[in-house]
Amino acid sequence: MSEPTQAGAQREEIVLNMGPHHPSTHGVLRFVVHTDGEIMRKAVPEVGYLHRGLEKLAETQTYAGYMPFTDRVNYLEAMFAEQAYAMAVEALLATEVPPRAEFLRTIACELNRIANHHVTLGCITMDLGAYTPFVYLLREREGINDLIEALCGNRITHNYLRIGGVSYDVDDKWLGQLESYLNHFEPIIDELVALIVGNEILIKRMEDVAVISREDAVAWGLTGPNLRASGQDWDVRRDIPYGAYPQFEFDVPVGPLGRGQAGDCNQRFLVRVEEMRQSCRILRQCLAKLPEGDIKAKVPKMIKAPKGESYASVEGARGEMGCYLVSDGGKNPYRLKWRTGSFSAMSIIEHTSPGLMIADLVALVATLDVIAPECDR
Amino acid sequence: MEFIYNYLSSLELGPWATNILFVIALLVVSAAVFLVALTIAGFLVVVERRVAGRVQSRIGPNRVGPFGVLQWLADGIKLFMKEDLVPAQADGPLFRLAPYLVMVGVFAAFASVPFGMLLIASDLNVGILYILAITSVATVGILMSGWASNNKWSLLGGIRSTAQIVSYEVPAALSVLSVVLIAGTLQMSGTASSPGIISLQGGWPWDWYAFYNPFSLTAFAIYFTSAVAEGNRTPFDLPEAESELVAGFNTEYSGMRFAGFFLAEFANVYLMSAIATTLFFGGWQIPGVSLAAQAASFWLRLVGLGIFVGKAAVLCFVVVWFRWTFPRLRVDQLMSLCYRYLVPIAFVCLAGNAVYLLVIPAGSELDNLIHWVTAGAGGLLVLVLLWRVRFHIKRSGDRINLDLLARGEKGSFDPTVQARPYGKFRRQHNKESA
Amino acid sequence: MGTFTNYFAAIGRSFVTLGDGLAVTLSYMFRKPITIQYPDRTKLPVVSMLPGRSRGILEMEASLCTGCTMCAKQCPIDCIHVEVEKDEETKQRMLTRFDIDAAKCMFCGLCVDACPSGALRHSHEFEGAMYDVGRLWLRFIDKPQAVAKPPKKGAQIITVPLGSIVRKMLYPADRQASSRSGGGSQ
Repeated sequence: MSEPTQAGAQREEIVLNMGPHHPSTHGVLRFVVHTDGEIMRKAVPEVGYLHRGLEKLAETQTYAGYMPFTDRVNYLEAMFAEQAYAMAVEALLATEVPPRAEFLRTIACELNRIANHHVTLGCITMDLGAYTPFVYLLREREGINDLIEALCGNRITHNYLRIGGVSYDVDDKWLGQLESYLNHFEPIIDELVALIVGNEILIKRMEDVAVISREDAVAWGLTGPNLRASGQDWDVRRDIPYGAYPQFEFDVPVGPLGRGQAGDCNQRFLVRVEEMRQSCRILRQCLAKLPEGDIKAKVPKMIKAPKGESYASVEGARGEMGCYLVSDGGKNPYRLKWRTGSFSAMSIIEHTSPGLMIADLVALVATLDVIAPECDR
Repeated sequence: MEFIYNYLSSLELGPWATNILFVIALLVVSAAVFLVALTIAGFLVVVERRVAGRVQSRIGPNRVGPFGVLQWLADGIKLFMKEDLVPAQADGPLFRLAPYLVMVGVFAAFASVPFGMLLIASDLNVGILYILAITSVATVGILMSGWASNNKWSLLGGIRSTAQIVSYEVPAALSVLSVVLIAGTLQMSGTASSPGIISLQGGWPWDWYAFYNPFSLTAFAIYFTSAVAEGNRTPFDLPEAESELVAGFNTEYSGMRFAGFFLAEFANVYLMSAIATTLFFGGWQIPGVSLAAQAASFWLRLVGLGIFVGKAAVLCFVVVWFRWTFPRLRVDQLMSLCYRYLVPIAFVCLAGNAVYLLVIPAGSELDNLIHWVTAGAGGLLVLVLLWRVRFHIKRSGDRINLDLLARGEKGSFDPTVQARPYGKFRRQHNKESA
Repeated sequence: MGTFTNYFAAIGRSFVTLGDGLAVTLSYMFRKPITIQYPDRTKLPVVSMLPGRSRGILEMEASLCTGCTMCAKQCPIDCIHVEVEKDEETKQRMLTRFDIDAAKCMFCGLCVDACPSGALRHSHEFEGAMYDVGRLWLRFIDKPQAVAKPPKKGAQIITVPLGSIVRKMLYPADRQASSRSGGGSQ
């Protein structure tokens, strides 16, 4: 739309298309950006380019056979989706998961959280122009990929969890490798802090940029690190405990940390760095306290969940990952719905975008950690 | 070129013959300089990719030619074979003209860039002024490409780039002015008889203009930052910000047109390093050798060439190193950096240098002392950096490995180890699991 | 004055943090790169460097198959096709067809979990890039053969090196490239 200026000339708004095919948006997301030169009026997100019908596919698969599909809801933090689904089915079946399996699930999930934050922090810095930290973080992620490959056979799309437990056990050799990885990785976090966290240019790009207030974050349904960065202290692991988490001691980082105000991009960044440290702490406690026992409860070969519905949520790396399951007594689910953290984060982008610059939009999307597979399923 | 003209005049062939021969010589020398600059730009592409690889804990291209040095040829051939696309709605003549303007802006400056003593195409008496002026022609080319591409993203990139380059001319010129003030001449290379900026410095670090006084050290920092900004290099590469604008003003270019922009950018990197070497780091001067001795001996001039190219190479490495370390500045932060920090400080340096030259007589005890102290400060900064490097390596438990060319061994992975612990933890784990 | 100190503090902070960042990246020039130059400059073929549970392309040892067809039933995407017929004369169950569409397989491992005899397993082969997708339709049975007896509880006897069967099918004209030569089993 054009508006007359004081001098009588017409002023037009540029409509830019940050299209689905774009090096910065995380997956195929589209933003229609209305800008006035460099400052945006609003950025309208469009999703759906990566819709694969995962929820509909559940209605054609058996309960046990759907597990590989849960990996694909978010392939970077696959274990969380597997756990949410497994917990939802186990709630319907009223199965008790053995303690060793709970610990192994926790180990897998926390490793996955660290691996996911590697990608997220790397992508944030890469979108802001520093290509090197991304490569360093991916190198560290290789260590975790190798651990998980030795554990279950695949580096991503693991299919590690089963209804009632996990599929493979660990031995002392693997636990020793995990410990040596933790010993190697924790000093690297300090090195990354030296390279990125204190970096004046990065702080200037992220400090006080795209502030999301606590009220807004709660009202728009943000969860996970995004919510905590805005100052709201909420973590599903601690507040609605599940699995083995009641037995662990860990801190939940809440913004503001370091420089910047609560809810800005820098806080979302710092909260994730601190979460990696806390995950290492949980992993060490798992190593110390791992109990003996079975790794899988007895479930029937062909699972027919009793009629009913259940909702299970876990604290994923991007937010609360929830699985809502409705069963009609047959061997396929009747309805399966995924609640993902990125979908809520996408919705707040249009609300936060007025007044930002285009470069800030990139920082906002990167720090909200929005990825397409979670939005579109 | 003056040398050639004087020689031809001395042959007494008559005005027509002299001038025609001179024009031919002009074309030959221009072609030679252009080819040298292109080769340097091509080689710099390989250096950048290998340095990028080593900085990122990987190797970089090492298959084409020994240690990958012919990679630029492979890239050039590939770009040559690509389809030459001109978008239908693009402004044809401007679209086609833009790469040439950018190339002219950069490569024409090489006419006055010294490579060694007496090894310069044309030692103009307004050398540095000519270089500053001609590199501004590239700005027109970038704006043209941004507009003519008929692409909103390219337009944004072109406009940002123009604003950036035009703004950063100011602190660059001011810091160059500090040096010109000290030297008293605009001529770049010079000899004993007609003094130029290099010939007025000396070989030793405390004779360089970078360490003349703290003001000129600051002027070097400002010049280097401004030159990196003018060359559209990270941390100022917003016009070609990959994650935001795909490729900014050169989004729609493919094939050899893109190669034009690409080579111009890398030639610019060398250009700014060469200029910084000339102005601040003593150019081709050899420590302990006087101008007359160097002018007399061919071998010493060759050593001077090596020294000049070596210093310029170190600065090129620093420019590449910056690219792979720093994130990029947002456009308003870039402008604010220029006008709120660089320009006032450049003015202060200029005034400071002027006062220094008035108050402290050149060559006196106090003058020499200040040179040594500043040179010492510079050296100390370098040592602190190296100490931090060692600190970071030790803290992550790695070992220092001086194999800079990354020749490596055939296979560096122990198959009995399933995860990949690195550094000393790998050795520890191997001992425990064996 | 507040603004002056902020100004110079900003400059000082920039120098220190940016300089430290430069030191970190320079330090990596002096460390060994971690690149493994696949496929030709590795100490051993990559296939033999993978961990034991690694899930590569599926292979089936026909002499061990009991014809239960649990693998085909468990596969979420129906990429295993098994046909078992009863031979009229000998009243013996004969395995007439066992095809795996390796192009469709998502390497989830549910079929391998279901196999009671260990006939079906993941090899470590991962180099499945072919010019013709039909080459990834793996036929493990040429002519009808009798099914094996189910093994004793927990016993899994693998009689050939892991991956040898599928390697012959994927790369029939194997030129003994360095990455695939040798026994290559774990």
